[in-house]
Amino acid sequence: MTVASITEQSGRTVIALSGEIDMEEAPKVRRALLDSMKQKRDILVDLAQVTYIDSSGIASLIEGLQAARKQKNDLALVSVSQRARRVLELARLDKVFTIHADMATALAAAKS
Amino acid sequence: MSSPASQPIDPTGTPTDPLEFAAALSRSFAQTQDIDATVREALGKIVTLMQVEAGAIFLLDEMRANLVCRASVGPVDITGLTVPNGSGIVGRAVMEDSIQVVEQAYEDQHFFAEADRKTGFVTRSILCAPMSVGQNAIGAVEVLNKRDGKPFNTEDQNLLRLVAASSALAISNARMADRLVAQERLQREVELAAEIQRHLLPAEEDENSPICGLVRPIQEVSGDFYDHFELPDGTIAFAIGDVSGKGLNASLLMSQTASLFRCLGKTVRDPARLMAILNREICATVSRGMFVTMISGLYDPATGHVRFANAGHIPPLLRRPNQRSIEMPADSPPLGILPGSKYETEEVDLNGAQFVLCTDGVTEFRFGDEELGTQGLDLLIDTARGKPLLQRLNAVVDELQRAGWRSRDDLTLLAIDDAMAARTVEQRAESERAQPDSSDFLFGLSFPADPKRLKLVRPAIRAAAEACGFDENETDDVLLAAGEAIENIIVHAYGNRRGEIALAVHRMADGLMLRIRDFAPNVDPAKIQPRKLEDVRPGGLGTHFIRAVMDDASFIPLPDGEGNLLELVKRKR
Repeated sequence: MTVASITEQSGRTVIALSGEIDMEEAPKVRRALLDSMKQKRDILVDLAQVTYIDSSGIASLIEGLQAARKQKNDLALVSVSQRARRVLELARLDKVFTIHADMATALAAAKS
Repeated sequence: MSSPASQPIDPTGTPTDPLEFAAALSRSFAQTQDIDATVREALGKIVTLMQVEAGAIFLLDEMRANLVCRASVGPVDITGLTVPNGSGIVGRAVMEDSIQVVEQAYEDQHFFAEADRKTGFVTRSILCAPMSVGQNAIGAVEVLNKRDGKPFNTEDQNLLRLVAASSALAISNARMADRLVAQERLQREVELAAEIQRHLLPAEEDENSPICGLVRPIQEVSGDFYDHFELPDGTIAFAIGDVSGKGLNASLLMSQTASLFRCLGKTVRDPARLMAILNREICATVSRGMFVTMISGLYDPATGHVRFANAGHIPPLLRRPNQRSIEMPADSPPLGILPGSKYETEEVDLNGAQFVLCTDGVTEFRFGDEELGTQGLDLLIDTARGKPLLQRLNAVVDELQRAGWRSRDDLTLLAIDDAMAARTVEQRAESERAQPDSSDFLFGLSFPADPKRLKLVRPAIRAAAEACGFDENETDDVLLAAGEAIENIIVHAYGNRRGEIALAVHRMADGLMLRIRDFAPNVDPAKIQPRKLEDVRPGGLGTHFIRAVMDDASFIPLPDGEGNLLELVKRKR
């Protein structure tokens, strides 16, 4: 259950991830992110339920971000768990991604 | 026939002087590359020269059971016609090794009329000369029906004998040349097999190791093997085996068994189960009638504990200081006979004893009628006492050979000297106590290089990190580093191909040490560098994580072909 749900909320695609995102699971995340690009909407990736993420998971998020930016959409991270934040910081990517504290804040944020 | 000197040269180019003809025949045989063509051509010339209606050359087949017509000249082609050796005029010539002169074929009870019935040819008179080289008959040449209707005379007989002798020599030489080519090819294969085998044996024995082996093949390639290697937790896996039969097939089966053991011995920790798997694999591929006797086991130098399984091999000898050896028999069948065979794991505590394995080349060492036997080996074990184990093993074999004992089989010995291990383990413990990094082995596991295994391995590492007293964040960091290291192995060392990964976790006074080993070609540590962070490309990110969260990450040098060993250390804050 790596990709827990894909929904549409206030004009954004919300992808909720959960569990351990490692080399085995990362390809599913990558596929889900790239598939949702077709909607041409901004994407919010909810990391609240992520208990483990490594460089493979991070690589998928980066690829999603690059694909979104290419089509002038944004990809932001929401409810980043402590674990995921540590890994993003280690990669010094915490400034590269827009990070929202929770879903309410994310949905309220003005569209860039 | 008229005098040879007065005969003109035949317009077809065939010399009509019999001596000149024989000399020309020898020359053409000596120069030919295609023996069959030359034999056919020679036969044509004989038929012309001797003025006969037909001629044929028959050669014995490989089993020497039949005579097969290899060349024929005349109104009917009988090439391929097969006559049982001993029948017909041809068979009689070969059997009796004497020239046969038959004036009226149908009046000779041995005449093989079958050929005439099949072809419509009518045989009247026959002259048939056996072809042999030394004592070896190889076939016969025959000519039929002189055109002038007269019987074959002495001159004809002498000519045909001459032709038969030179043809026999030529055919025999050609066969020998073929055999030489085949032998040369076989020799190259044997050298290759020997080369492969040398690589399958442990590269170099360490003089101070508590386990050592030696093999002395009597031929270039051997049906014996032994192996031993250390597992991540310090246990030593070992095996000795003997393939039934000799030569190339035996050595190929040995190579297969030895490489299966190298692979499976790293992961399968129960000797009985390992034997059952080896047995199944060998049963699936072995040629009928071949089998392998083998002992495989695990020895823990730290405790002196041995677990082993015996598949029909000579029982190991357990020799305690100043006592006779105890044989440890087992009655499981050899590998490669029945796919469902059951094997049992035996256990023994060495407590400083020697544990000696050998192949029957050693126990069947002979001096006249006397056989060495296991008791003889027992007496020899103390040869060169006090010297390193390898020197002692060599001394045993040297001593036997020096005394004039002979063996008809390969000699292979594998021995564990637990007393040496006790010393080594003590020294190791002492040196570890002297260092601040003294570590306890927590656990070791071995698993396939498959991303699916990651989530199964992580809980074990988490438990170990927690046991070492790390807090939640530090534990997560250890998990991240271990996961990244394993992913690097899967992607970079094995290139997403199949392989094994061995993991060992040690507790240190102030933290934890992970040793992660693969068995892929050596990785150049200089090329494993963290990425530049401004580069958002994911490559190298894992290595960067490892270096960021661990206190030390370094490759421990291993000999070529032994894979890669990464040591990760995390200390408590």
